[in-house]
Amino acid sequence: MTLSEPASAAAVRRRRRLRRKASRVTALFATLLVTGGLYAAMAPGGAAEDAEDSAAVEAGRELYEQSCITCHGANLEGVSDRGPSLVGVGEASVFFQVSTGRMPLARQGEQAYRKPVMYSDDEIDQLMAYIQANGGGPTLPSGDLRDGELAAGGELFRLNCASCHNFAGRGGALSSGKNAPNLSEASDLQMYAAMLTGPSNMPVFGDNQLTPEEKRAIINYVQTLDESADPGGLGIGRAGPVPEGVVIWLLGMGVLLVGVFWIGSKA
Amino acid sequence: MTNFAGGTDADRVAGQAVAGQSVPVQSAATPSDQPSVERLASMGPAELDRLGTQLDHTEVVVLSVGPPPGSIAEKRAERQVAICFTLATVFALAFVVVFWGAGWFLPDWEYRIDGSAFGSLFTPLLGLTMGGALAFLGIGIVLWAKKLMPHEVAIQERHGGASPPLDARTAGGTILAGFQRTGAVRHKMARRSLFGAGGALGLLALMPLGGLIKNPSRGDELMKTSWSKGVRLLRDDGTPVRPSDMQPGSLETVFPAVEGGNRQADAATMLIRLRREQVEAVEAPSGQEDFAWEDYLAFSKICTHAGCPVSLYEQETGRILCPCHQSQFDVTRGATPTFGPAARALPQLPIEIDDEGFFVARSDYPEPVGPSFWNRET
Repeated sequence: MTLSEPASAAAVRRRRRLRRKASRVTALFATLLVTGGLYAAMAPGGAAEDAEDSAAVEAGRELYEQSCITCHGANLEGVSDRGPSLVGVGEASVFFQVSTGRMPLARQGEQAYRKPVMYSDDEIDQLMAYIQANGGGPTLPSGDLRDGELAAGGELFRLNCASCHNFAGRGGALSSGKNAPNLSEASDLQMYAAMLTGPSNMPVFGDNQLTPEEKRAIINYVQTLDESADPGGLGIGRAGPVPEGVVIWLLGMGVLLVGVFWIGSKA
Repeated sequence: MTNFAGGTDADRVAGQAVAGQSVPVQSAATPSDQPSVERLASMGPAELDRLGTQLDHTEVVVLSVGPPPGSIAEKRAERQVAICFTLATVFALAFVVVFWGAGWFLPDWEYRIDGSAFGSLFTPLLGLTMGGALAFLGIGIVLWAKKLMPHEVAIQERHGGASPPLDARTAGGTILAGFQRTGAVRHKMARRSLFGAGGALGLLALMPLGGLIKNPSRGDELMKTSWSKGVRLLRDDGTPVRPSDMQPGSLETVFPAVEGGNRQADAATMLIRLRREQVEAVEAPSGQEDFAWEDYLAFSKICTHAGCPVSLYEQETGRILCPCHQSQFDVTRGATPTFGPAARALPQLPIEIDDEGFFVARSDYPEPVGPSFWNRET
C-alpha cells in the first residue's frame, strides 16, 4: 500500500479506488460467510454425523488398502489389466460387488461370480462411505423396493432383462465363458444396485431410462416369480419348451426304446 | 375261408354244416375235414380252436409250454405277476386318495404364491401314482405272457407268386360290380354333382396355401422399414429419448414414432450409448462415419442370420449377442459379426437430434434389415 505518498489529486483517486476494491472484497467475504453459515445451519446432518461419516470413510480406506488396492490402485485410479478405476462408481456399485461376494475377487477371470461374502454389513458400509467420498456416484435407494406394479414390472422385465437373464430369471450364457447370473439369490437391494450401476457386462439402467418406480416394479416381479410355488417336476432351468422337448426326446424316448428292446430280446 | 361278420369259429363251422349246400362258402377244407353236428357239440374250446386253425391251413408250432403245472417255477412266476398287479392296485388307489383327499383330509393343493410343500408335491404325486399303476400293470402283463403262457408260432400256407388269373379276374369283378351297384354310372346328375363338390373342396383346401405365397417385391416391404427422416426414436411406452436419458454403457430398445411402430417386427432398433473408452475405439464402416450421434449408435435389433432379436448387450466388451445361434457383433466396428453364423453386419440407423432435443432418424436403414433373401442386392 502507498499511504505515505504525497497527497496529490492522483493519490486521492488511487486511494478511493483502493477503498472501493477493499469494500468489494469485504462484501464478497461477508456474503460467502453468510451463505456458508446458512448452509451449515440448514443442511441435513450435524457435526456429530460428519465426524461419524469421516470415521467411516477412514475405516473404509483402511479396508480398501488391505484388500482392494492391488487391483484398483492407491488412489482408486485402477490398474490396467487388473481392475477398473473406482472414482465415481458410487456406493451402489460397491454394495452390489461386495455384498454379493463378487469382490474381493478370488482370481482374475472372465467375470466375477457370486460367492460367500467377505465383509460384515458394517464393513461394507465403511467401504461404501470411502468410495462415495471419492468422486460420488449412484447411491442406494431407501424404502420398500417392491413397491411397484407387478404386471408392468413383468412387461419391463421381458423387454429389458429377459434376453440375458431368461424369462424366469434363471440366467443364461454370454460370450467367451461369461454368463448372466441367476436372479433367485439376489436381494431387492442388490437387484436395484445392479440396474443402477451396470456391473461387469450388464448395461446400465439409469434413473432416466428406468425410473425408480419401474425398477421397483421389476424387482417386485422377479421376487414374485422366485417366491411362487414350484409347480413340481424337473425344472431343467425353466429354460422353456425347446429344452423340455429335447429332454423328453432324449431321456423319455430313450427309456422307452430300452424297454422295447428288453421286451423284444427276451422273446 | 371267408369270414362271416361276428360269431365264434365254432358258430361259423356249425352254421356252415347246418346250412349245407344252401350257403355257398368257399372253403379250403375238404368236406371230409368237416365234423358232424354231433361231433361239434361234443368239442371243447381247445379242440374247436385247433379245428379252426386247420380249416385256415394254419399250423401252430409250440416252442415251449411254460412251467409244468404245480411246479415251483410256476408258483414263483404267478407270485411275481400277482405282486405287480397288487402294486398297480396300490398305486391306483393312492392316486384316488391324493386326487380326492387334497383339500379334504389332505392339505389344499391349490396354487399359491407362498406355496406349501404339499401344493408343490401334488402334481408330481399324481404323476407318480398314475405312472406307477400303469407301469406295474404293464410289467405284470409282460411277466404273465413271458413266464406263464406257452410260446407258439403260427404258420399259415400262402401261395407263391402272383394270384391265379381266375382269382385276379374275379377280384376285379368284385370291385367293378360294387361300383356299378352304387348306381354312379346311371345317375349322372348325382355323379356329376359329387365331382363338382369334390373339386370345390379341393379348391378350398388349396386356399390356405395362397396366403403363404406372396410377391416379396410388391410394395418393397422387405427392403424398407417405417424409419425415415425426422421420425423420432420412441421407447416401448411411447416416450421419446433425449441424450441425457442414458448412462454410458446402456442400451434402450426403440421403435419408430409411427402408428403401431412398437409392434412392427422389422423396425425394432437398439439405441446404444458407448462407454467413454469405447468412443475412441469406434471404427465406423465406410459410408457410415456420420451415422452415430456423439457416443450414441443405433443398430437394427433383427439378426442378419435368422431374424432373432439380438439384445444381449455386453457393455464392457461392446458385443451384441444373438441368443438363437450365438452370433456376436462388435458395436465399435459398425456391428460387424465377429463370431457365429451371421455373415452381415447389423444395419445401422443414422440418427441426429431434433429441435426439441430428442433423437430422430436421419433416414431409413441404408440396407434391408434381417436375414438374407433371394432378391436383396447387398
